[in-house]
Amino acid sequence: MQSLSRFLNKTRYLLQETFLGLRRGGWLNWAAVSTLLVLLFLVGISIELSWGVDATVQSLGGQLEISAYLEPERQGVDLQPQVTQLPHVAEVKVITKDQAWRSLLLDMGIQDEAAIETQLGDNPLVDALRVKADSAEVLGEVAAQIRQLEGVDEVYYGDRVVEQLAQIQDMLRLGSLGITGVLALTAVAVITTTIRLIVMARRREIEVMQLVGATAAWIYLPFILQGCLFGVISAVGAWGLVLGSQQLLQELLEKLIAFPFLKVMQADPNRSEFWFLPLALLGMGVSLGTTSSLIAVRKSTGR
Amino acid sequence: MIGQHVGYRPRSRSSWAGRVPTPTFSTQADPEATFGFYSSPQLGAPQAASSMVSLRGVSKVFPNGNLVLRDVNLEVRPGEFVFVTGVSGAGKSTLLRLLYGAEQATQGTVTVDQVCLFSTEGRRPYRIPPRPLAMLRRRLGVVFQDYRLLANRTLGENVAFVLRAQGLSPAEIRRRIGPTLKMVGLTEKRDRFPHELSGGEQQRLSLARAIVNMPVLLLADEPTGNLDPENSLLVLQILERLNSFGVTIMMTSHDPYLVERAGHRVVRVEGGHLYDMR
Repeated sequence: MQSLSRFLNKTRYLLQETFLGLRRGGWLNWAAVSTLLVLLFLVGISIELSWGVDATVQSLGGQLEISAYLEPERQGVDLQPQVTQLPHVAEVKVITKDQAWRSLLLDMGIQDEAAIETQLGDNPLVDALRVKADSAEVLGEVAAQIRQLEGVDEVYYGDRVVEQLAQIQDMLRLGSLGITGVLALTAVAVITTTIRLIVMARRREIEVMQLVGATAAWIYLPFILQGCLFGVISAVGAWGLVLGSQQLLQELLEKLIAFPFLKVMQADPNRSEFWFLPLALLGMGVSLGTTSSLIAVRKSTGR
Repeated sequence: MIGQHVGYRPRSRSSWAGRVPTPTFSTQADPEATFGFYSSPQLGAPQAASSMVSLRGVSKVFPNGNLVLRDVNLEVRPGEFVFVTGVSGAGKSTLLRLLYGAEQATQGTVTVDQVCLFSTEGRRPYRIPPRPLAMLRRRLGVVFQDYRLLANRTLGENVAFVLRAQGLSPAEIRRRIGPTLKMVGLTEKRDRFPHELSGGEQQRLSLARAIVNMPVLLLADEPTGNLDPENSLLVLQILERLNSFGVTIMMTSHDPYLVERAGHRVVRVEGGHLYDMR
């Protein structure tokens, strides 16, 4: 009972002091929160975007096939087990030259079965393998491996599209990492300054508190809590903005960047990814806010 | 319960409330005022007579090479009233600062209320960690020449601030403020702000702040330095009343008249040495 009342007493003290700190911060609070909010918003957006690109690459990768044309005397079925055993290979289909010839002739408009049969003897085509990889990124790798197999003549795959997508992915990653880094530094600087100014405004009180035996935790916890609160508020705001801008982002991607197949992940509370983003933003915001206020009070904790 | 909060252990003295001295001077402060909340079952329990303040072979050299204390020894028994005199800059304040841990000795051993603050006697110099220091400070009261009040808080809040900083509950804080303000004669002005007070009143407020946590040792650094003789006597009188309740007082002063008049033990700081004058 006594420990409960002591706990309540401490909690009330902490909340009161934190609120007092916020009141003293005035517009500086806004500066700290908005910087952090912009940072978290951009992080959220770039996470969403990279998810979109990942998903697109993934789905494209499933459709993209490697076509391997064999040397004339080779049989597709001979090479099939060898190719299947290569890493990242999902599926291997054998197209015999007869099948290919038949479909070619059909394409050319020759409907007559008998004519086709007679023509087969002079089939100029070769056996081919259609290989699917388990993801788009490894297509090139798999293609190279197939190319080195004995009996393989030529290898084709839709490398241009995939390479471009991979480039976009890399740029997105690099860009968001750079922006995140710079903005994180800015946010830490702004929050540190804010907290330090408030600490300085209360220097005299802190002096008296130290003199009468207040512990360092008792004195500085409200400031730490304030930084933490900045993080929470910014994270909530940033997530709201990310949710609100999803539709806009989708349209932008379709119209401006001309990648109609790029998709922004749609919010779906049933999927675990849906909760990953707000949690990531919250974690980042809280850790940045807390770190900054720790930096701010670290130097003041003299005796 | 109170005793648990602030670690108050009365030493070989009767209750603060038990002895009210006959006032020597006319005063605004209520001579009958006592700490009504002060009542402890261990009153008057005999305790081993150990010293309240002990300096052994203490030297203090400032980083700029200025040597203020040279191999100083001092023992202050619980319940004593000690004046520390000396010309300004002699090291009186430094001496007090060593006792509440704002300054660290260069050499020697500093012990206050059986807590060692600093010692070079061991193989490595010992310095009291922050938390025990904070706990020790809860048993001390410190008063400054420049009061160090919080300008944007009322008198009551200034005093309550101390207890809040120590984590006491609002009910307990309310219970203690009244008697404390009464003790220094500021009950009427509880809701005023410090700048609305005279210098003497401000110093009495800072005294109230120093004693609200019922210290065993009160360190007063030139508490009368900015005051006229009348207010100086008033402050001295409050200190003497506290002393009569068993609180050990160490007070620096360069006012020979006041020191002479009080008739307590006098220690003089001069050229880095301590001289027992009386």
